[in-house]
Formats: sequence, structure tokens, C-alpha cells
Amino acid sequence: MTAKEKNSEMVDLEVAVELSGVDKWFSILQVLHDVNLTVRCGEKVVVCGPSGSGKSTMIRCINYLEKHQKGRIVVNGTELTDNRKVIDRVRQDVGMVFQNFNLYPHLTVLENCTLAPRWVKGVARKDAEAVARAYLERVRIPDKADFYPSQLSGGQQQRAAIARSLCMNPKIMLFDEPTSALDPELVREVLDTMAQLASDGMTMVCVTHEMGFARQVADRVVFMDAGRIIETAPPEEFFSNPRESRTKAFLSQILH
Amino acid sequence: MDFAYILDALPDLMTGLKMTLIVSFLAIVLSCLIGLLGAVLRTGGIKPLQYAVTAYVEFIRGTPYLVQIFFIFYGLPSLGLRFSIFWSGVIALTAWASAFQIENFRAGLAAVGRGMHDASASLGLKRWQHSIFIILPLATRAALPSAMNTIVATVKNSAYLQAIGLVELTFVAVDRIAYDFRAIEMFASICVIYLICVFTISGFGYMVERRLSRPFGGR
Repeated sequence: MTAKEKNSEMVDLEVAVELSGVDKWFSILQVLHDVNLTVRCGEKVVVCGPSGSGKSTMIRCINYLEKHQKGRIVVNGTELTDNRKVIDRVRQDVGMVFQNFNLYPHLTVLENCTLAPRWVKGVARKDAEAVARAYLERVRIPDKADFYPSQLSGGQQQRAAIARSLCMNPKIMLFDEPTSALDPELVREVLDTMAQLASDGMTMVCVTHEMGFARQVADRVVFMDAGRIIETAPPEEFFSNPRESRTKAFLSQILH
Repeated sequence: MDFAYILDALPDLMTGLKMTLIVSFLAIVLSCLIGLLGAVLRTGGIKPLQYAVTAYVEFIRGTPYLVQIFFIFYGLPSLGLRFSIFWSGVIALTAWASAFQIENFRAGLAAVGRGMHDASASLGLKRWQHSIFIILPLATRAALPSAMNTIVATVKNSAYLQAIGLVELTFVAVDRIAYDFRAIEMFASICVIYLICVFTISGFGYMVERRLSRPFGGR
């Protein structure tokens, strides 16, 4: 192996997620057009754009909740194919938090957090519970472990969902509009949890309209419209000096 | 109303009730299992099975129950399928109840949102694990009220089986009336007995429902 090859391999290892030339259709409707995006390990990328622009679809492709039809998606060095083993391996590395929390309503918060570690990773119940309680502590709801999701506020539910994801020890976290379903006064606590996670060095891809969060946490902001990535820039540049007219139009609509 | 006569007939009625309960119990258990399986097949990806289950449900819902009983007891033997009165009764009642339980469980499965699938997939749960730990309990809870209705109807519809000579509660009553002409006593008695059975079952159903729905409020 030459030094150059070695070097390129090291660069590859630093790449957490790479989408190249990704196209996706829902039957005849093309929702992603030639999407190219590279997320490096430890990087925090915020994805924004008008509704229907393909933001959610794009991040759902990263853990194969949606199947792309063209292009390559490489996650932690593994290229996504429709092979079950490949999908399972990628999903082990990727955690996801949803707009509607998607906690299991018939299980307690603790059971929500331990189900996957026990059954997917074969962790013993006691150990899984210890890990879960540690993460619940970290998202500041240790006292809610034995409650059912419906007994929690929206913000607490979303933090429980974040803890559930973290229990699988993912290397990359995807957030799909994590605060959009929350009452305004509960948004802060979830964003704080995410900011804390970011400062711990987690690789994060967040679809969100919280521009304050983007400014504070993001390394890069990606703007999408009509299934295409229109513009990618560091937050200061993105907000103060957007290049594309569509980005300007979008920002003028959401920044009051 | 001659209560002494009812008392005298009670042992006979109890024999009939025993048969009613046995046939109903078998039909309820079998129809719930078939209902769950049918609902899974009907919503599953295998087209021919999907059509077969749909056709079955439409056939049962579209034909009179009494005709189905006669079809099984009088019709099937000419195709070489001969069952005793008892098993004909169990099959007919199960066949009828299954169609409705399939629909109940299908509604239950539909009530489990797409979000649960996303959560399980992103956590890496296998399909069977998601089915057993998530879909089954949630779908059962959602299907429970209508499934309880069908269970109650199953008990009541066991009365039709007197038409093929199954010695169940209604048969015993009709049989005694043919001898003693005490129609009001007999029909009043079996009405009360059916009511007791139905109230017991639906009371049990409400209890289970309340217990299961406790943790997740209005959902």
C-alpha cells in the first residue's frame, strides 16, 4: 500500500455519511435530484428548506427507511444496498429521532430504552437497564423511567426518544424535525439536549426549522428546495450572506 | 309463568347450556386465531393469499349464516366431507366468526401507525421482533372492543346450530316446548341464561380493556 492510498483510506474513515448522485422517486414523483452530501465524523449538519423539499426523505435514506433508486449512500464505510445484513449493520451505527417521537405507547420509558439493546445486541436486562438509566439521567428525566409515554409532556417524550436512540450507542444521529410537534415552551429543553449531545462530539444530521439552533450548533447548514441541495454553507455565512435567491427568499420568510 | 316448571326443566337446560358454552368456546378461540392470521395475510404482501382472504370474508358476510350452516352440514357430505353434528356446528360457527374477527384485527393492525415501524427499523429490530413486541400488543388493544362484540355475537349465534340438531340451549328449549307447550317459560328462561352469559363476557371484556388502556390515555 502506497502512502497516498493509506492517506486516502484515512480520509475515508473520517467520512461518516456520504451521499453521491442520489435520486429518489415516489412512483412517478421525483423527490430527490442528484443529492450530494458528505458528513464528516463529529460534524453537525442542519438541513432546512420549505416543506416538501425532500429534507426528511433525504435523511430517511441514510438509514434505509427510504430506498434510493440511483446514486450511492455510504455510511461509516458501508455502502447501502438492499441486502438485509448491510441494512442491519448501517442501522446499528445510525440512531434516529422522529417528529412524532414514535415511542412505544404500551411500554414504559425504561422498556422503550432497553428493548432494542436486549433483543438486537443481546445485552443482559440488568446491564441494558443500567445503561438506559444513565442516558435518562443525561437527558434529565431519570425520574420518568417507569412512566408510560402518554404520562410525559411532549418535550419529555422527545428526550426519552433521544435516550432510546442513544442506548444503541450509535455513531451518527439523525433528527427529523424533532421539535416541530412540540408546544413552543417545550422546544428549548429538547434543543438543549441536542446541543449537549453535539458538544459531546456526536455526528449529527438535523432537519429542523430552529434557526437559532442551527446558528449555535451547526458546522454547516444545508438548504434544500424541490428535491435538490441548493446551498451549503457555515451558519454565519448562510444567514448573513446567502448566495442563492431561493435561499434568500426562504430565509426572509422564516426569520422575522 | 310457571316457575315450578322452569325449575323442573333446569337440569335439561343446563345440559344444553354446557353444549352452548363448549361450542362457543371452541369457536371463539379458533376464530380469534384465524382472525389474527387472516388479518396478517390480508394486509401482508402476498397477493394470492390477500385475495383469498378477502374473498372468504366477502363470502361469509354476503351469505346468510343459516345457509352457511346448512351448506356445511348438508352440502359438504356430497363432496365427501362428512362431519358429525358437533363438529359441523363448531366449523360453521368458527367460519362465521372468523370472517368478522379478520376484519376486527385488520382494523387493529391499521391502527398501528407507520411511526412504530420507523422506530423499530431505526433501532434495528428484526421484523419478527417488531411484530411480536410492538404490532401484536398494539393491534390487539385497538381491535379489542370490536373483537369483544364479535365474541358476544358468537355465543348468541350458537343458537342457530339447533337447526342441524345440535343439542345446545335453544335446541333443549324448543324440544321441551314440542312436548309441553310451555313456550313462555322456556324462551324466557333461555333469554335470561343467554343474557347472563353475554353480560359475563362483556363485563370481562370491559375489565381487560380498561386494564390495557390504562397507561396510554386517549390513544
